[in-house]
Amino acid sequence: MKSRSAFAAFLSLVFAAALLAGCANQMEPAKKAITDIEAALSAAGPDAAKYVPDQVQAVTSQLSDLKMKFDQKDFKGVIAAAPALLTQAQALAGSAGSAKQAAEAAHAAALQALTAEWTALSASLPAAVSAIESRVDVLSKSKKLPANLDAATFDSVKSGLADAKSLWGQATAAQAAGNMEQAVTLAKQVKAKADAALTALGMSAG
Amino acid sequence: MEEKKTSPGASSPGNPTPAQPADNQYTQWYEVKAGDTLWKIAKQVYGDGSLYNNIFKANQDTLSDPDKIKVGQRLRIP
Repeated sequence: MKSRSAFAAFLSLVFAAALLAGCANQMEPAKKAITDIEAALSAAGPDAAKYVPDQVQAVTSQLSDLKMKFDQKDFKGVIAAAPALLTQAQALAGSAGSAKQAAEAAHAAALQALTAEWTALSASLPAAVSAIESRVDVLSKSKKLPANLDAATFDSVKSGLADAKSLWGQATAAQAAGNMEQAVTLAKQVKAKADAALTALGMSAG
Repeated sequence: MEEKKTSPGASSPGNPTPAQPADNQYTQWYEVKAGDTLWKIAKQVYGDGSLYNNIFKANQDTLSDPDKIKVGQRLRIP
């Protein structure tokens, strides 16, 4: 009886040792799998974080789960889940590259559209402002305003002209500084003021 | 008075003209009608006939005398 019990204890020890050895055998591959995923994530670089943040977040989150499994010594679980996550992490660089390319193309197209808008506005607005200024200069010398223009409207035209000139200065400065978006926004404000003044003065643009 | 944006009338390229801004889409034009004078036009456009000289000066490429304007002639209105 005693020898049977000793044998059972021996078997338990052998089993436990085998179990431990098995675990140890799986720990290194699991650790390497995690390291590989981290390396792939790191290789994706800052472009991935900038252009595919959701995908980076998904990989990071799954990697945390994997590390948790590793800490819980679920090496088998780590090894089972790692290949898919590694593939996902390795795809990040490609996805980021494509997204970056698309973003750059969109930016270039937007810049091209802004440049075209600026070209059109800058070709016409100085002439509009100049025409308004010329008319305002003459009307300012008039002893009596024409029938279609009252004093309040004329004052508003003068004020609008001053605003338009100031805004145009800001627009050209923004364009010179390379801020095309702001330049076009300001130029559109100039156009609105110039159009209002032209209408108030009974002037037309062809 | 109706100010129109129309194409300019015949110019005299051979005549020396004082420097003035080039015509563009915002240049304002007036077509002379029967009975018009620069004074009357200035009175209509500016409210003050005495400012007719502004119109004369702006049209010296086609006008040599402020009293000699022709029906149908197109004048710049600064």
